Amino acid sequence: MRTHVAEPWIEAPLQTFVDEAHALFALLLHPNGQVMGQFGFTRAVDVMAACALAAAIHASAGELGKELDGKPFREMYHAGRDRQIFIGDVPTTQQQFVFLTVFDSESSLGLVRIYFQELCELLEDAQPPVMKQAPISSTSLEHDLNRNLAILFGRAPRATDGGESSLSLS
Amino acid sequence: MSASPFEGVLSMLIRQRGVQGCMVVGEADGIVVDSNVQVGIQSNVVAALAAALYRKARLCSAAAGLSTVGFLQLEAERGHICAIGRDGLVLVTLAEPRAHIGRIRGAMLESLSVLA
Repeated sequence: MRTHVAEPWIEAPLQTFVDEAHALFALLLHPNGQVMGQFGFTRAVDVMAACALAAAIHASAGELGKELDGKPFREMYHAGRDRQIFIGDVPTTQQQFVFLTVFDSESSLGLVRIYFQELCELLEDAQPPVMKQAPISSTSLEHDLNRNLAILFGRAPRATDGGESSLSLS
Repeated sequence: MSASPFEGVLSMLIRQRGVQGCMVVGEADGIVVDSNVQVGIQSNVVAALAAALYRKARLCSAAAGLSTVGFLQLEAERGHICAIGRDGLVLVTLAEPRAHIGRIRGAMLESLSVLA
């Protein structure tokens, strides 16, 4: 099973993580909930729900971390009975992402943390030059959320320049 | 703050000739519980991978009908990784090629009771 990405530069780092960490699900998104890449999901509605929840958890944990520790919590982990979830902040120099992964006993938190660190480094190296972005309005946000979902599930063509076509001002 | 229950074991192992580091790791999560390693060793990375290796070896041994894993030794070009486990904890030792593995093995087996 392969990863599906909205922008080509994300594919190799995400696929490397999935292969090395034996993840069941992986999701890379903007903090606003816009999906950038996914692995393991079969329905767009599930990706949409996971992105919305991950973005909300990330925002809540960030604020909670600021209250408690003076800085946002960077990583979160929850162990379920069979599956475990890890959410981490991916701070590249040009953009910030949120990463969510689900794994079972085939992997471990220690392995996921190692390969998450590697993912951050690979994304940092692979990211394209920053593009000028238009202010985000409610219309453009919704458009971008839907555009990336459509790309991931083969309902829209992917931008070939590696940039964020709908947000950029050319 | 009280000392870790593994401090004595780790201090004893690190004093063995050629030992570069030793750590107690959770087998399921690969997270370091306590460690004593030389500067420059990425204990988190070694711990996670060694715990995964030990776990796979344990499962393999059980599947092959060989019962529990007594002592796991990985011999590499530039050294050794030794591991023993009990009750969800793994004691991992990282040693140079010149290390006396027999002594390390003996010390690790003696330490097994501390993991319980």
